[in-house]
Amino acid sequence: MTLFKAENIQKRFGARVVLEDISLSVEEGTVHGIMGPNGAGKTTCFHVLTGYHAPDGGRIVFDGRDITGRKPHQIARMGISRSFQIMNLFDETVVIENVLLALPEFRAHGFNLTRSVFDDKALVDKALGVLDQVGLADLAWQKADALSYGNRRALEIAVALAAEPRIVFLDEPTSGLGVEATRQLMGLIRKLRKTYTIVLIEHDMNFLFELADRISVIHWGQVIAEDTPAALKANKWVARSALGEVA
Amino acid sequence: MISLSDIPARGGSPFTPAMGLFVALLLTAPFWLEPIGLYHYLGIEIAIWILFALGFNLLFGFIGLHSFGHGAYLGVGAYAFGLFQQEVTVSLWGGLAVAILAATLAGAIVGAFVSHRRGIYFALMTIAFGQVFWFGAIKLHSITGGEDGLLGIARPDLVVGPMRLDISDNISLYWFVAVILVLAVVALWRIVNAPFGRVLQAIRQNETRAQFVGYNVWLIKWLTFTLSAAFAGLAGGLFAMAQESAYPDVMSLHQSGLIVMMVLIGGGLVSFWGPVLGVLLYFIARDIIGGITETWLLWFGLMFVIMVMVRPEGVAGLIHVLRQKFAQTQQKTVAPASNPERA
Amino acid sequence: MMELVPHIINGLTLGLLFALIALGFTLIVGVMEVINLAHGSLFALGAYFALATLGGGWFGSTEFGVWWLSLPIGMRYVFALVVGPLLAAGAGMIIELCLRPTYGKAPLYGLLLTFGAALVVEELIRLIWGTGEQSLTVPQAINGAFLMGGLIFSKYKFFAAGFALLAIGGVWFFLERTPYGAIIKAGSHDSEMVRALGYDLSKLRLLVFGFGASLAGLAGIILTPIWGLRPHVGLDVVIPAFLIIVIGGVGSFWGAVLAAVLVGLSVGITGAYAPAWSMMSMYLLLIAIVGVRSRGLLGRKSALEN
Repeated sequence: MTLFKAENIQKRFGARVVLEDISLSVEEGTVHGIMGPNGAGKTTCFHVLTGYHAPDGGRIVFDGRDITGRKPHQIARMGISRSFQIMNLFDETVVIENVLLALPEFRAHGFNLTRSVFDDKALVDKALGVLDQVGLADLAWQKADALSYGNRRALEIAVALAAEPRIVFLDEPTSGLGVEATRQLMGLIRKLRKTYTIVLIEHDMNFLFELADRISVIHWGQVIAEDTPAALKANKWVARSALGEVA
Repeated sequence: MISLSDIPARGGSPFTPAMGLFVALLLTAPFWLEPIGLYHYLGIEIAIWILFALGFNLLFGFIGLHSFGHGAYLGVGAYAFGLFQQEVTVSLWGGLAVAILAATLAGAIVGAFVSHRRGIYFALMTIAFGQVFWFGAIKLHSITGGEDGLLGIARPDLVVGPMRLDISDNISLYWFVAVILVLAVVALWRIVNAPFGRVLQAIRQNETRAQFVGYNVWLIKWLTFTLSAAFAGLAGGLFAMAQESAYPDVMSLHQSGLIVMMVLIGGGLVSFWGPVLGVLLYFIARDIIGGITETWLLWFGLMFVIMVMVRPEGVAGLIHVLRQKFAQTQQKTVAPASNPERA
Repeated sequence: MMELVPHIINGLTLGLLFALIALGFTLIVGVMEVINLAHGSLFALGAYFALATLGGGWFGSTEFGVWWLSLPIGMRYVFALVVGPLLAAGAGMIIELCLRPTYGKAPLYGLLLTFGAALVVEELIRLIWGTGEQSLTVPQAINGAFLMGGLIFSKYKFFAAGFALLAIGGVWFFLERTPYGAIIKAGSHDSEMVRALGYDLSKLRLLVFGFGASLAGLAGIILTPIWGLRPHVGLDVVIPAFLIIVIGGVGSFWGAVLAAVLVGLSVGITGAYAPAWSMMSMYLLLIAIVGVRSRGLLGRKSALEN
């Protein structure tokens, strides 16, 4: 079943056309990779798909519903979550609160003034469970800005997962990670793919080819190819034009 | 750098040592104010400004919207209270309700204009809107009494069920204001420690992230603006009673700046109680340094400038640092292996 | 229609005066991203310095003081026009030095620091010059009134408006047509580049703040003969400057000038029909414009919003 579909997305900033024509379709339960050289519009593409920017043309459909032009918070509530390439955390507070804030139950209790955040054992346990998934349960009561770089990356993913999404957009999760941390992350995503549909922007070709079911190659704001990793490797034209520059 | 969110939210009970100390000071004040050479009216004034400052800090410290025109809502509350007494009927609860309503409405309208603005732009817009109210108060002479304001506002009797109490003298009025203040402080304490309050702080820390985990940031900002205006309106209604008048001066840029100053000096950016310390410090400076020299505002201003330069976390930040140092030395001597983590 | 002409002329001159007040303010906001709440105090300070220079208050009754007072007022006035802004620039530079620890922090701190500085300056003025109303005498040549088309106009207002026009042109020329202006504008967008070009960024900031402060002082000297001189005059006059910046768009030079003229015209024309509402019209103008264009007339997305 197609869970998420973008059709002919266009985005301009002033006179500059960043996305000319992006279409992609993500099947439920798969990992969909997005690759392309720097400046190809990958991150802008994510911003548009998750509602940060409204597209200038085209249509975005999630689970049969047209979500084009919806605001980020509306899109997030429907079950679309994302991480950021440049980290975006609640830095002044503890790790577990980053996750708590993203839990749908927490959001539902937003206006309940009779309870406090850390009172609800069930919520705290649930948040610890999410942290456990990314291996941060032991650091739950540390301040977020005191974490190491790799752990911050993991927390970034935990916050995205806490919202109980059906689809998770990960923007360059390996960016800045060392070899060992990258290997750990790969294991994590392998684990997550059993539960979530994942869309992944990645620079690291091996990483992406290893994990993705299908890959869209973006260049000059257009999808120039979409296929399985194996087929893309075989496609000499794609390999030369896009992969050649980055891989 | 320390911040308001350092300390994970506490449990549901607002009965903390700080709260105990605060309530104790508030409820004993009438007995020691005069013996130490102060006067009861000062107590009323301080209590009202604490109410105003704590409500303001919801906006300023917690959600991080740096309004520089908040005196306007205090003023709106004061005028609404006065007009209600003079034009409708003399009633304490009616007057206070109208004061809160009027300020809430004013806050809701301005909030709708400014809630999508950020940073300095937000501050600039709030200044501009604050000036609109201030100028309106001066110019709508037939309603507001112009520069002189509304004079001779009554201090209505306190009616609770069948009881009717005269609170027109300063001591009884102090008791009334103190009780309202305690109720408001408990309410604010609950708000900031409830999920809602944590969301406010999350928005201050990272607006984008808050959006992407599903919070309608604009709506929450607008609500906070409005709520904080409502507290200002309540403070304004009480202020009109205390002063037995309402005048445009409280809405000026100068007054709006002073409240920011008090909140910052006290440490409103790092502690719930910061605004209380700031208000106390301001009035102590005004009445004590003011008793020694006419130019107390010069010294207070200088102190403030130096504080912004070297220790913008304010008095509460200073206390926090000192306590940490104290705790560290204690830990070294007593239990070097104790776990600093919270259970 | 004809009876409106004097009001339009009045409005235009008023608009130019507003623009003169807003000039230094918009320069500092645009380049340094600091809202200088002490702008009004520097405005007052410039006027008080000019007052002291004109009256020879600096030298008392020393021989030099007596000689100074015997000079023609025109000469002393021109001298005051130079000394007042220079001293205001000095005060502004002191404020900039105090501002340094706040750079790189939230913009709030700059705002707060300048608010504190405004209090200090105002109190210092009270301490030195007293709390009473003072007046700045101007040379006979630009004083008095003249008749035009059967109507009486104040000569000084025209002098002031002309002066404002000159100042606006001068600042524009400086920013757009001189290498210094180019560096200042670069500094506002790209501090890296300024450093790469080999300029000292902190010196640049000091000079820009000093320049903005001197413009405030100049506006004070030009405007206080019309509006009077009191220690808190700064607060009264700086408010139109805020509104103008918001209406015109933060950091936009021509936005500020355009907004100032619009505000002046609306005040002038409303004054013709409903004098009590003339000043109120500027607030209504603000709400109308900001309601439609929340960034102001010529405002762009600015770093100040973050």
